[in-house]
Amino acid sequence: MSLNNILTNWSRYRKGAEEGGFHEYEHQWGMVVDLNKCIGCNACSVACYAENNLPVVGEARYAKSQFMSWMRIERYWDEPDLEPYQASPTANVDVWIETNPPAGKTALKPSMPGSYAEGLLEPGGQGFEERVGVFGTKGEMQDFGASFLPMMCQQCHAATCEPVCPVAATYHTPDGLNAQVYNRCIGSRYCSNNCPYRLRYFNFWSYYEDAWPEPLHMQLNPDLAVRDKGVMEKCTFCVQRIRVAKDEAKMENRKVRDGEFATACVQTCPTGALVFGDLQDPESRVSKLWRFHQVEQGKTKQNKQNKELRGYRILEGLNTDPSVMYLERVREV
Amino acid sequence: MSGNNVNRRDFLKILGWGGVGVAVAGCDRPTTVTLEEGKEEVVAYLQPEEYVIPGVGVWFASTCQQCPAGCGVHGRVREGRVLKMEGNPDSPINYGKLCQMGQAGLQGHYNPDRLKKPLLRKGGALTEVSWEEAMAQLDQKVGIASGLNGERFAWFTGTVSGHQSVLLSAHLASMGSKNHFVHEVINDAVVRAVNQDMLGEAAPRYLLDQAKVVLSFGADFVGAGASPVYFANSYAKFRTATPRGVLIQVEPKMTLTGGSADLWVAIRPGTEGVLALGIANYLTTNGVDASGLPESLRALISGYGPDKVSKITGVSADRVARIAALLKDRSPSLVLAGASAEGHAHGYQSVAAITLLNILLGNVGKTIVPSGASQFPQMEAKPGNTRDLLAFANAAEQKALDVVFFHGANPVYTAPAALGLAEKIKNIPFKVAFSCFPDETAMSADLVLPILSAHEDWGTHMGVYQPEQKSISIQQPLMEPIYPDSKGFGDLLLVMLKARKVTGFDGFEDYYAYLKSAFAALPASVKGDAVSDEDFWGKTLQKGIVKVATVGGSLSTKAIEINLPEFKEDSSRPYHLVPSARLGMWDGRHANLPWLQEAPDQISKVVWTSWVEVHPQTAAKLGVKEGDFIKVASEHGAVEAQVYIYKGVHPDVIAVPMGQGHEEYGRYAKGRGVNPLKVLAPATDAKTGELALYATRVTATHAGRRELLVKLMGNETQLGRKMVATVKAEVFNRTEGGKDVA
Repeated sequence: MSLNNILTNWSRYRKGAEEGGFHEYEHQWGMVVDLNKCIGCNACSVACYAENNLPVVGEARYAKSQFMSWMRIERYWDEPDLEPYQASPTANVDVWIETNPPAGKTALKPSMPGSYAEGLLEPGGQGFEERVGVFGTKGEMQDFGASFLPMMCQQCHAATCEPVCPVAATYHTPDGLNAQVYNRCIGSRYCSNNCPYRLRYFNFWSYYEDAWPEPLHMQLNPDLAVRDKGVMEKCTFCVQRIRVAKDEAKMENRKVRDGEFATACVQTCPTGALVFGDLQDPESRVSKLWRFHQVEQGKTKQNKQNKELRGYRILEGLNTDPSVMYLERVREV
Repeated sequence: MSGNNVNRRDFLKILGWGGVGVAVAGCDRPTTVTLEEGKEEVVAYLQPEEYVIPGVGVWFASTCQQCPAGCGVHGRVREGRVLKMEGNPDSPINYGKLCQMGQAGLQGHYNPDRLKKPLLRKGGALTEVSWEEAMAQLDQKVGIASGLNGERFAWFTGTVSGHQSVLLSAHLASMGSKNHFVHEVINDAVVRAVNQDMLGEAAPRYLLDQAKVVLSFGADFVGAGASPVYFANSYAKFRTATPRGVLIQVEPKMTLTGGSADLWVAIRPGTEGVLALGIANYLTTNGVDASGLPESLRALISGYGPDKVSKITGVSADRVARIAALLKDRSPSLVLAGASAEGHAHGYQSVAAITLLNILLGNVGKTIVPSGASQFPQMEAKPGNTRDLLAFANAAEQKALDVVFFHGANPVYTAPAALGLAEKIKNIPFKVAFSCFPDETAMSADLVLPILSAHEDWGTHMGVYQPEQKSISIQQPLMEPIYPDSKGFGDLLLVMLKARKVTGFDGFEDYYAYLKSAFAALPASVKGDAVSDEDFWGKTLQKGIVKVATVGGSLSTKAIEINLPEFKEDSSRPYHLVPSARLGMWDGRHANLPWLQEAPDQISKVVWTSWVEVHPQTAAKLGVKEGDFIKVASEHGAVEAQVYIYKGVHPDVIAVPMGQGHEEYGRYAKGRGVNPLKVLAPATDAKTGELALYATRVTATHAGRRELLVKLMGNETQLGRKMVATVKAEVFNRTEGGKDVA
């Protein structure tokens, strides 16, 4: 896609869900993450390092959050659905995204102690007990396991990162992906600031200078570039694998078959918690799962006939229209 | 081929196929090669070089060497370099999947700190020498002319299997010695001993997917266990069964498996057996038939009423009753024991009490079924333990050894300081390390022989836990050696056997020729539809897996006497030290892999260093905040690391993960974090002699300094947003039970 094309057809590509959406896709690669199966083991994340030439940044840079893990496993200790958090009755309550406080409880506000706006929750800090009472499980001990959440670029169809790029380095492809053109990127980092999921990673350094001392560099995947300082990057849904599969299908004059290939994370997942495929192919596994769980694209709020079905998209209320559907964790309580 | 004086029976033994089962027929027919999803082609190593097209990757089958599980792998090779590992879908262990350690095997192969030349200790320092000089030294010390013979020679290895094990045993026999110390810190030796005594088989098959409830006493089966990927696959079936399986995890510190529990129960370390008897007490007083148990056991169980059990274990009586009721109502269940139950002076007794629950609940035969043995016993994995580490330290102290060969184990790092191993092995005049890396043991050896990496060498392996389909997994080179001055382990074994003039091995030019002959000598039942030996060899290399028959296999239940000690507190050292194992660093062998150093610990999310896990109450008592350093001191030493505070650890427990604290082992590992194994008390399980890893008492004090604890998560909570949403199992069973959606 040329820059000229983007500039000429900007409004066409940016047609949001509220305007009926953009429908001229060849594919719409999507994913399903079943949190009932995910054990948080990290295999997906390391597979991604191996496949996508992700640099190891070292402890000092990691401390500054300059790491490059396109796929990361977040881990939370609380489960708002099972153990409703309790907010201070004196808190000045207004809107908190997706918050649906149970009767008699108040919604959480960013200015509350220990919340986002206050900075990091500091265990052992002043008032920690009180705050753990608010955020953790209610009892003295952790009564159930952790809540693991694999997070990779959600490949949003109404991506908040795309319209803010001053040079159209990030744009939407006919495959339904948020592409990042490294050669076009000038490192403004607007896209990263605009991503509500914090899934974009910036090359603050020329990591290649020390990330792959000889002969570690021999492992680098020649199918994709090693990125240099000043460039934004993120999960591509292993676009190099998509390319190979599409080329092969084209040479054999057929469509890409469901399950014919998978991204590195999906391929290795020991429990099969991750599923990858084309949401435009009604017979693909991902399509069947989206249909079964009554999750539809182009919506900011799902109107499910069966409210008990597990499918949901993270922060979809922000009108990002993600291509990744999560299936709720299940607990015996 | 083979020597002239070898009869067929001996010949088969030389080739690794000795044993009762050689004539067994009726194995699975190997299927033809399948093209894996998205893979350009899976080819045999024998394909001509013209096959390799620039820009096109080719996949070769091999075996993962990152832990003893022995997963089958495919390695993607392009322009002569191996780039990516994926699981081999034909492997009955990992079904095409890999864990993070398997993914990171490449960084061992391409590690910048690999040994490149043989090293010989000259005047106190290790000095690079030629292979000629190294082998001359070796011959001088262990060759026939050396006169060394008998028990003054030993091998010290990690888990070993397949033809390497066959050759190693032949070499040991040629030396006239029986000293083979097999050491793994992460092992299930106590559970194996109990299973052997109570069920008649050391490693039976656990049918997780048939169990409606799994009660695990610290068994980290999807994490640092016998076969993590195999159990992860079983776990997924268990969680998607109808009704969905329930996981209850009881342990002093949350393991990766505990991280997925429906009910997580913190227990005072060492009281796992008491809780098991408390559950048995509830069951027998609530209608579960215990008449099959001996009178003495029934009396024992009746002595563990709710109040007593609750007082000792710290688990409330309500909770004990709830767990027991769940087990009773939802049959069949499965009760497992793991490292935190095993690692005490009475570890065997605790595990026996836990295993008794399976007998009482009627799980044997339902969720625990026989696994049997492979038809080729010589090839089976020799599982490691810590008993051999203690025996080795003792032998070194007694000056009972003249020569020791190390391979696949790093005892100088894993041995507790109280054992004094680093000093004691100085009593052994000639220590040889066969190693890829300058680890602590290699650096204290007298001769270091650089061996090929797992991705450069030939071999055959059997996973340490093969409960379903017994199979032999092929290890073949995925690329040419990076360092021409390193040699294959099998090749070296063969050279040493020839030097000892062992009959039968002189005809093989190298290890490859030996392996090829071995596969040609397999019975037709194993070869399936191959039309010739050459055809079979080609198919074997292409597929990477040879399925073999199972012999025997039966379970019998035997309730044994159980003696649990009185539980004592130690006010001078109020905390229990938990040296926790993690999938990733494992026992420290992966600390030199940068991907795994930067992969956050699954529970604490800490990277690149060691940390200390404490409960918020304990943190308050010690007056520490996250990032503060605390000093954890036992009778035998102290370590200092930063605090991570959460509720997934018992308030009486201080947990420090294994894996860091290397004094050698290359740039990524050396001088990073601390090694909790160093401060362990050298206590042992009274019955098995295994090191009691969880039995050390410690004090904890604020060390007075603080740094940012480097970890992934800036926030421990969801702040009320729907990040990880949760539904109740009853809803899941209603909406998805019995449905195969996609």
